[in-house]
This record gives sequence, C-alpha cells and structure tokens, in this order.
Amino acid sequence: MTTMVSVKEVTKVYKRGSEELKVLDSLSLDVPEGEFVALMGPSGSGKTTLLNLIAGIDQPTSGGVFVGGKNIAVLSEGELAKWRSHSVGFIFQFYNLIPVLSAVENVELPLLLTNLGKKERRERALTALKVVGLADRSSHYPRQLSGGQEQRVAIARAIVTDPQVLVADEPTGDLDAKSAEEILQLMETLNRDFKKTIVMVTHDPRAAERAHVQRHLEKGVLQLR
Amino acid sequence: MKYLPFVLKHLRRNWVRTGSTVVAMAVCIFLLCTLRSVLSEVDGMLAASQANRLVTRHAVSLTFSLPMAYEGRLQSIPGVKRVAKTTWFGGSLPAKKEAQQDGGAGAESATTDWSNFFNNMAVDVETYFAMYPEMVIPADQWKTLIETRSGCVIGSKLAKKFNWKVGDKFFLESFIPPYRRRGGPFEFVVAGIYDADLSKYPGTDVNSMFFHYEYLKEGVAPRDIGVGTFAVEIENGDDAGKMSKAIDALFENSSAATLTETEQAFKAGFIAMAGNLALLLNGIGLAVAFTILLVTANTMSMAVRERRTEIGVLKTLGFSSAHVMGFVVGEALVLGVLGGALGVFGSQALLYFISNTPGVADILAGIGLSGLELKPDVAAIGFFVAVILGLCAGFIPALSAYRARITDILRTV
Repeated sequence: MTTMVSVKEVTKVYKRGSEELKVLDSLSLDVPEGEFVALMGPSGSGKTTLLNLIAGIDQPTSGGVFVGGKNIAVLSEGELAKWRSHSVGFIFQFYNLIPVLSAVENVELPLLLTNLGKKERRERALTALKVVGLADRSSHYPRQLSGGQEQRVAIARAIVTDPQVLVADEPTGDLDAKSAEEILQLMETLNRDFKKTIVMVTHDPRAAERAHVQRHLEKGVLQLR
Repeated sequence: MKYLPFVLKHLRRNWVRTGSTVVAMAVCIFLLCTLRSVLSEVDGMLAASQANRLVTRHAVSLTFSLPMAYEGRLQSIPGVKRVAKTTWFGGSLPAKKEAQQDGGAGAESATTDWSNFFNNMAVDVETYFAMYPEMVIPADQWKTLIETRSGCVIGSKLAKKFNWKVGDKFFLESFIPPYRRRGGPFEFVVAGIYDADLSKYPGTDVNSMFFHYEYLKEGVAPRDIGVGTFAVEIENGDDAGKMSKAIDALFENSSAATLTETEQAFKAGFIAMAGNLALLLNGIGLAVAFTILLVTANTMSMAVRERRTEIGVLKTLGFSSAHVMGFVVGEALVLGVLGGALGVFGSQALLYFISNTPGVADILAGIGLSGLELKPDVAAIGFFVAVILGLCAGFIPALSAYRARITDILRTV
C-alpha cells in the first residue's frame, strides 16, 4: 500500500522569549493511503502540532513532512496555502463555519480558489452537502443548525475540493454522544467509500476505536503500544 | 469579482455598525464637497477679476460713500484710463408690485420681497461697460440703454430666472434708506440683456443688473448720496500697487480718505468680512476627514478582531495572506465607496436645494455666489477622498490579518 503521509524525523520547537519548548522530538510516522489513523495522548503531548504539520498550516523546525510524495516542509507560505486549497481538508473541533454564509456558501468557500464557474461551484457544493446528508439544509445559516449538522457542513467543506487527506482535530469534542456517533459514521463512510486518508486527533477512546490504527503521543514522542 | 459577494456578506454582518460607518463617511464627504463648492465658487468669482481694474472706496468702511467730486480728480491722475461711479443699490422687488404701479400713496408701506433678491448696481454705464468688455450687450440694446434713463441691463441668468425680456418693466426698492425714493420704488425697463463667454471668462457674473447712476441720483434728489465706490481702470495692470498708493495719497488728508485696491483684492476683502473663509472651510473639512478616518479605522479594527478565528479558517482552507488582506481592504473600500457616493449625492441635493429655493438662492446671488453647484471635479475629489479614507482605514487591520499566523489564531479558539 502506498504511503500517503510520511513524517520523517520531525522536531518542532516553540520559542517563548528566551525559553525553548520542544513539542515534537525526532518523530516519524507513516500513514498508508486510505488509512484512518487516530492520534491520542494527553494535553500538551504534541498531537495537534503533528496534525498541523501534516495539514501544512505549520512547519517543522527540522525534518520532513511528505504528503502524497511531496515534502511540504520546504514550501513557502504562499505555496503551502495553494497546496492546502486542493490537497487537504481540515475538520475543526468547533466547526468554524462562517456565520454570515449559508451552509452551501460555506461549503462553496474553498472552491472560490479554483477556476470553476459560479454554477459549477454551487453544484459541487450541493453534491458535498448531499454526501453528508444535508442537501435539504443548504440555505440554512449556521445559527439555524444543530452542532452535529454544523460539523457535517464543516466536513462537506473539507471534502468539496476532493482532497487526498482529511485531518480532523477533535471532531466530536463539542458534540453530544448521538451527534458524535453520526460524525464518526460519516468519517468511516468517507474513509471506506471515498478512499480518503484520515488523520484524527481525539481524546475520546470511543472515537479512536473507530479508526483502523491508534497512535499515542507523549511528550512529543510516539509510544509503542 | 467572484469575491465581492463574500465581502458584501461580511458587511451585512452588523447592519448598525456598517450603516453608521457609511453615514459617518457620507457626512464627511458631504461637508467636504459642499465646503469645496463654496470655495470653488468664491475662487471663480475672484478669478474673474482683472489686474488693471481698481476699486476705490472709503477708507473707513464700505458703508460710507465718497464725494462725487472725486471722479474728476481720479481721472486727472496720470495712468488712469477710465473712472466709473458704482453704487450698490440693494434693491429688491416689492412684494405688492401692483400697489406700487397705482402711484405713490401706498409706497412707504409696501413690503420687500427678499425671496427674489439679486445684485443690482447703479453705474456710469458707458464707462463701466467699457471697463468690462467680457460683459457683452447687443448693439441695438446698448443703444436703447443709453437713450433710456430708466433703462437697465440684466444678466442672462437673471433674465432666464424671471423670464424677463427686453422691454419688460419692473420695480425695485432699496432697503438702504438714502436710496429710497419718496414717490415709491424705482421703475426700470429692461433695455438689454448682457451675457459673457464663460469658457473664456469663467466666474463672470451674469446674474446682476446695472442701471444709470444718474437715474438713482435724480430719483433721490435733492439728497446727496455720493458714490459707493469708484471703478478705476488703469493703463498698465503691472502698476496696480503704485497707482493704488497714488490714488490714496491724493485723498489722504481729505474728510473722506480712500482705500484703493485691485478688483480681486476688493472682492477678497468683501468675502473676508465673513472671516478667513478658505482657512475656516478647509479646516473644518480636514478635521472632519481626520476624525472619520479614525472612526472608520477603529470600526475596521473591531470587525477584524471579532473575526480572528474566521481569518484563521480562511487561511487553513487555502486562502493566502494576500487574499485575506484583500478581503479586509475590500470591505473598507466598499465602505468608502458607499459613504462617498452617499456624501456626494447629499451635497448635490443640498446645493440643488439651496440654488432653487427662493430667498436662499437670491441672498447668495446678492453676494455674487449665484452659480453655487456641485462641480464634477469637486464631486470627483470628494469621492476620491472617500475611497482613500476607506483604504487608509482598512490598511492597518488588513495588515494585521495578513500577518496573523494560523496556529496562533487557532490556538486561542
């Protein structure tokens, strides 16, 4: 199986004044294509930092991050932004929908960066909403949706550009059990039927159980369990 | 253009804030355009002056008249080409015109129609119009004017306003007591209509009326009314300073000392009676613009601070820092465009209202501001200032959005 995500000897150090904080320490991780990986660990273990590096929204102090064979650790900020727009979908804990945009407009947002026409953008956004089961709520605004529905819109936004990789930071962390279950089922569907490679950070063992692989971090180092 | 709906959606997020910012901007541009229009009109009036025309008046105040005998003495000064008596009549149309036509019985009790006030001057028509070649009167009408003691010439704009034609008669009564006739208002007949090539002589007043000084003098006889001012044409405009001094020196020790200045300085001094108009109006405009800049900048900063998370999300989705900066600048620009358009429209509406409101328009015309309107260049400047204000107000918050790092933003969520 081809490796979709390969993190090689990555170290991440944050500087706070004169103090240096090593969050990831020579960490390596391979995620095969079509895999569903859960990253677990206590607060401050470096899970989110690792996720951010894989999503290309942060860069390592040293080491390489290869996604789809491309070392994104060497890309400039502008190149990274362009890469993110078509290669990775990000699912946030608090959904982070734009409140002044309707569901379909939120989903359509990443497509503004493509050369697609208005009609085609709208069609694709509606298709993505159909995938997450919210086609009938396309004109609703975030305030008119429940937490679970908001997260499903956020997932539609993450998949609308058809990225190779989905990264999710505590996607069920703000949801009740029933909604969380729906979201996890949806992520399983995306992984199984749409062959998306998913890297998910979670504190919830029940959520982690839905992944194929669970990896644990402690103090910036992957634990062998 | 595909991003415009996104920018507009954000402006609709807080209607009250967006609306009040646009209105604040509009008020600023409204003031700027209106004040600039007034200044532009004043500048135009001054620009119509010529260096070889001097005005001699009483050294103490314009309200004091000069002895008529000064005319000959002025004429005798070497370098003086022509001298014309000019007196601001201050006449207005009596409200009860018909009553005046019946005779003098009810004349004293007639009320004055201030709503149709216009500038009217008693002058030595032959010498005065020789000094002002820019004011053109058809030859046959000129002949009529010279031959008719009660004849007058009116500017084309004034003729249009009152629909007066050559041969029409009307009455004027001055609000200045010495110029009021015991037998009732003065009757005038329109002998001619003068016009000017405004492209060649911009600022020339075509909203005034001129009549024979002798007609006024005879009408109020035996009262000695003197002369309001003397218009003096000199041979060489370069000698204006020297000639002014020579004239004033001639009357220095007389009972009515004079103050002579160029026509432009005279008009400027007349306007300056209301204070340093340019400094005042420009000062107000600048102060308002600066205040609005701060208000708009604060509004934009607040809007961006509130949306820090959204900025992080946009960047995560693949929008570059330049994109995000563009959105913020775009919002500020839209505020500027809306405020500018509203302000220019408001100024246009006010100036149109002023120019077409009987009474207000006539009072302005009486002091030479007959063409008060929002000129395209002033409107363009106002709109440009609004756009620049918008851009400046949005720049700092946009820069902050540009520099914001995704991880820093999302960490604080």
